[in-house]
Amino acid sequence: MNNNVIKVENLVKYFDGRCVLDGITFNVPRGCIYGLLGRNGAGKTTIIRILLGLEPATRGRTFLLETESKNLSPKIRGRIGCVAEGHNLIQNYKVSRLIKLCKDLSLQWNDESFGHLIETFRLPMDRRVRDLSMGMRAQLNLSLAMAIDPELLILDDPTLGLDTVARRQFLELAIEVIQKQGRTILFCSHILSDVERIADRIGILAAGKLVVDCPLEQLKERVKKLRVIFGESVPANLYLTEIINRQIQGREMVITVANWNKQKQAILETFKPSSCTEIPMGLEDIFIECTRPNPELVEIA
Amino acid sequence: MLTLIKREMQDNALFFIGSVIFSIVLIGLSIATLEGHRWIELVAFDSPAGAIVLPIIIFGFFAMGAVQMDTDRIRKISAFISILSVSRVRILLARIIAGLLAILIALVPLAVTVTILLKTHAPPIPIFYVMIIEIFSGTFLINLACYFIGLQAGWNSGRLPPVIGGLILTCILVTLILIKGFTLEIMVILSLFIITSLIRTWHLFTSTPL
Repeated sequence: MNNNVIKVENLVKYFDGRCVLDGITFNVPRGCIYGLLGRNGAGKTTIIRILLGLEPATRGRTFLLETESKNLSPKIRGRIGCVAEGHNLIQNYKVSRLIKLCKDLSLQWNDESFGHLIETFRLPMDRRVRDLSMGMRAQLNLSLAMAIDPELLILDDPTLGLDTVARRQFLELAIEVIQKQGRTILFCSHILSDVERIADRIGILAAGKLVVDCPLEQLKERVKKLRVIFGESVPANLYLTEIINRQIQGREMVITVANWNKQKQAILETFKPSSCTEIPMGLEDIFIECTRPNPELVEIA
Repeated sequence: MLTLIKREMQDNALFFIGSVIFSIVLIGLSIATLEGHRWIELVAFDSPAGAIVLPIIIFGFFAMGAVQMDTDRIRKISAFISILSVSRVRILLARIIAGLLAILIALVPLAVTVTILLKTHAPPIPIFYVMIIEIFSGTFLINLACYFIGLQAGWNSGRLPPVIGGLILTCILVTLILIKGFTLEIMVILSLFIITSLIRTWHLFTSTPL
């Protein structure tokens, strides 16, 4: 039995002749929380829309729960929960009517868990969805997605537009439910601290390519930012493979290298630097380095 | 499926109410023809009342199809529903069934009333019953055809040519019926048109990104 809940194979997508996704390949194993990152317009939402069968791919194939996205049956869809970017709920419906519709159209519905969420969020049943605040809409959307006890939860920027308190509340609840139930999650967000808190594995999209696809801890180990100071000036013939970014100022060179290993360290030492110190990097720093405009595209996987 | 049909009916309640009102008005008009023994108008769709009412009903169902699809597209209803345990085909099928029901609500009570009135008040001429079947099946087909044109126009409502094209096509069909009547050839043409429209609508709805 295949253990990958999400499978993306050589995905290519063009919009009006512009390549948005250029040969994306990644897998999300069962029980994994995958953080998909990228700048605005990097193609995160497009990948999710293609995965859900809402948008056709130009080339390549995507699978959810071992079924190709374009052939997702209602039964398979019933095992997937989704919180879409912007919370596209039916705006003119009252909350109670929307809940009833979702309940009636779902294969399974966990009344207890849903009731608990609704109580926690204190969502007003008699108000129309369009009259809810962005935070309330996000909470309603998450509650609806969780009520079906999904095997796979797809969260596309679920905390977008929420204030700090609402965001924290949303995440804590999501994490609690997620951990308790051991679900697989695909999580897109611009708030990297959120992703860093919950993700096991990270994918970073830049210039249409997936430049990073590895476990979070491995990513932090593999990407190194070093401040190297030389006796006189930075050697002109210093060459290392997989340099993500390099800044030189006099005798000092600040270099970000992907897939750092002993061989690269040995090469650097042959140039006899007077000092070499590592600058600690968080996920946000790694993300910024990997998504700089015109970076040397280095794959970290 | 029933949930989806119910949702369509609730969201488009105005058109169902319109169908009921039209049906009542036409039943009233039919009863009124009995005064002065103008019962011949019961089987004459090109009578003054018929010539006014028929295009209104037809454009009403064009509007219903267009509004159903346009609302869906703008409010991203199908995008939301299809994330649940529902396929696009089911969403479309429920929509079409709701449209069919609205057409039947407008026509069936009227057809029953006219048949009863003819039976009770008109001379027993068999050709009248044949004419009733022709008129009501023809009206049903033309309404269905225009409803499908509306569905396609509504789904493409972001672009002007399909909408204008849809309206022109509806005008042509109405004119054709008013001039030629519900002959067998027209019925065949309408049936073919409906099948083609159904396939086209299905293809448009299932292949467009939501």
